[in-house]
Amino acid sequence: MKAWDLMGNRRWLYLLSAGIVLASVVAMAIQPALGRPVLNWGVDFTGGTLITLRFQDRTVSTGQVRAALQPLGLGEAIIQKVHETGDVSVRTRHLEPEERRRLEQAVRERVGPFTVLSVDDVGPKIGRELRNVAILGVAVGLALQVVYVSLRFRSVRFALAADVALLHDLLLVLGVFALTRATVDSSFVAVLLTVVGYSINDTIVVFDRVRENLQLRTREPFLQLVNRSVLEALVRSINTGLTTLLAIGSVYLFGGPTVRDFALGLTVAVLTGGWSSVGVASPLLVDMTLWAERRAGQAAVQPTAQPARAAASRRGRA
Amino acid sequence: MRSHTLRVLILVALAVASFQVVFQPVRLDGWRPAWQPPQPRLRLGLDLQGGTRIVLEAERRPGVEVTADKVDAAMRVIENRIDALGVAEPLLQRQGQDRIIVEFPGLQDPQRAKELIGRTALLEFVDTDHQSLPRGAEWLPDNRRVRLPDGQVVSLPKKVVVTGADLRDARAEFDQQSLQWLVRFRFAGEGARKFEDHTGRSIGEYLTIVLDNRVLSSPVIRARIPGEGVIEGSFTADEARDLAILLRGGALPVPVRPVEERTVGPTLGRDSIDRSLRAGWIAAVAVVLFVTAYYRLPGFLASVSLSVYALLVLALFAGLGATLTLPGLAGLILSLGIAVDGNVIIFEKLKEELRAGKTLRAAIAAGWRRGLVTILDSNVTTLVGAAVLLWLGTGPIRGFAVTLTLGVLASMFTAIVATRWLVELCADLGLAHNLARVADLPRRPEVAA
Repeated sequence: MKAWDLMGNRRWLYLLSAGIVLASVVAMAIQPALGRPVLNWGVDFTGGTLITLRFQDRTVSTGQVRAALQPLGLGEAIIQKVHETGDVSVRTRHLEPEERRRLEQAVRERVGPFTVLSVDDVGPKIGRELRNVAILGVAVGLALQVVYVSLRFRSVRFALAADVALLHDLLLVLGVFALTRATVDSSFVAVLLTVVGYSINDTIVVFDRVRENLQLRTREPFLQLVNRSVLEALVRSINTGLTTLLAIGSVYLFGGPTVRDFALGLTVAVLTGGWSSVGVASPLLVDMTLWAERRAGQAAVQPTAQPARAAASRRGRA
Repeated sequence: MRSHTLRVLILVALAVASFQVVFQPVRLDGWRPAWQPPQPRLRLGLDLQGGTRIVLEAERRPGVEVTADKVDAAMRVIENRIDALGVAEPLLQRQGQDRIIVEFPGLQDPQRAKELIGRTALLEFVDTDHQSLPRGAEWLPDNRRVRLPDGQVVSLPKKVVVTGADLRDARAEFDQQSLQWLVRFRFAGEGARKFEDHTGRSIGEYLTIVLDNRVLSSPVIRARIPGEGVIEGSFTADEARDLAILLRGGALPVPVRPVEERTVGPTLGRDSIDRSLRAGWIAAVAVVLFVTAYYRLPGFLASVSLSVYALLVLALFAGLGATLTLPGLAGLILSLGIAVDGNVIIFEKLKEELRAGKTLRAAIAAGWRRGLVTILDSNVTTLVGAAVLLWLGTGPIRGFAVTLTLGVLASMFTAIVATRWLVELCADLGLAHNLARVADLPRRPEVAA
């Protein structure tokens, strides 16, 4: 097999990763300019009431429903049609039970008979709590994982590299959700958690390979060693990614509209989790290690590939 | 010679026991076991099977302390009300200090149940002297003024004679004379005495019946009443029945207010189960095909141990009485990925060892030894994350964390133990040639070594 020099060309990996991060940030940043919030927050986070109705007459339009709701004074209502099934969803501020009864009555009288498919009614306090739990969970989880990885790999560099890769993954998922306007609800929290789980897991498998090769105590320079390790772990990374995607893909295709956004998030999680181990974590590990070695004055391991770059980075950090 | 028989027996026993726990083909509740059609006995979350989940929060008002005891007492009252409604398998839980989660699986119309459980249902008999109040008039929170239905506010202190706490019974009744629904109540003990005394003293005055500060009726006292009476209020049949239920169950010791409600209609729930099941089957078949096609015999063996894994996870799940939700399903899928990963990691190492020229047995030993370290480290990091979520999370997040934790633990067992046993069994059964195909080697590894 031809041995690709991935780590020697790591500037391209950085460039690609930086491009992904930049695109994600741009995807989020342009949303306010388009007159909408960065993410399509669901009622789980904002609080509010979301009712999905299935009319007997599937051709009912959002305009008809809007007209029926107009006189009720329930504030700004977002009315959408689920194209696949013809169901209509109505999203309003958090409604009191009495207000909801009036809403259902008005729609039944003025539009037509329907069955209630689902109701999500969330008070504003609950939304805040969910957000706090999500942030705290990701933060505490990250911190503990840094500790564990640092202990097991006897170096904080592995943990830092893994976490930067994870941040890259989280940003990409946020960017995809901003762009596709997929609903950010509590299952989005599960997506974020999957990103954390899968991304770290995948990076650890690659790093484990590095550790294994380091223990063989070959005189191979670190850069080449990491490169070899990444390539050796590649088949596994691809196979595992593929099988997981097979599972998620069938959920995406056959799981129905309720889980589609969720499956999309998981797909992105697996793809980016696999990519970032190779494209972010490994190059970072190389650079951090090379930098540490240079600082320790071990000129013997000086990489020959990019002396100019190395000098630049030294100046930058001094 | 390894004790293959024992190992195979253990795996088969594990699979059979798990199958029994999850699908229960044999019913064991009597002293004589009986066959029944196997069905998954998993508790499904409301998002999968349909139903309503309501989170109530105790309201903090000045002067009223909210304690876990009071919330527990409120929960019992609510439980009684739900029982009286005859809803199947309601689930009540206290969450934290001041919240109650009420779940009604498969309930068609939660509206009525919702109105019942959230009501404080504090019944008061108020002495209003010579003043009659119309139905719907409401005492303001200071208990000194009354807002009439037309919006006018009059000054009238609330002099409570007796409360619903002393009621012994309440029944809805249809009155043949007035052709109206009413609620007949009976006092017991102290309450009965107070009621009798007051009615005896105040003949010709009005006794106003108030529920949650709202006037139900305001009848005139015609005679001394020995602890029994009726509430009229031009009720419908349902209203009368519900009021009777509320009064029998007693008032909530703390007022509660719904902060979250989720209803998944039975149509959508049924749909979700069907689709999830189908997606699950397709996913399983796709994974088995892929792993077998790529890794040949070892891949097939991995599929067998993955099936054991799937049964084991479901059995752990059913055994713990956990509830499977949509995010929980995500945790399962993620752990399926991790389970496959465990096998793939080991097979890749096995391949390397074979290519390095080791004998099959040596390669198996080395492959698993090296794979173990990788699997442990990658899975422990995942478990650390899941543990944080278990500690922090409620609802959807917890569901995810539970399935992920169980899934990861079971996947370590299957990859590290079950697959190895199967591979070693095949090696001793003379299938070494087939096993070695994993490395795409043209020769038998035994010969090569």
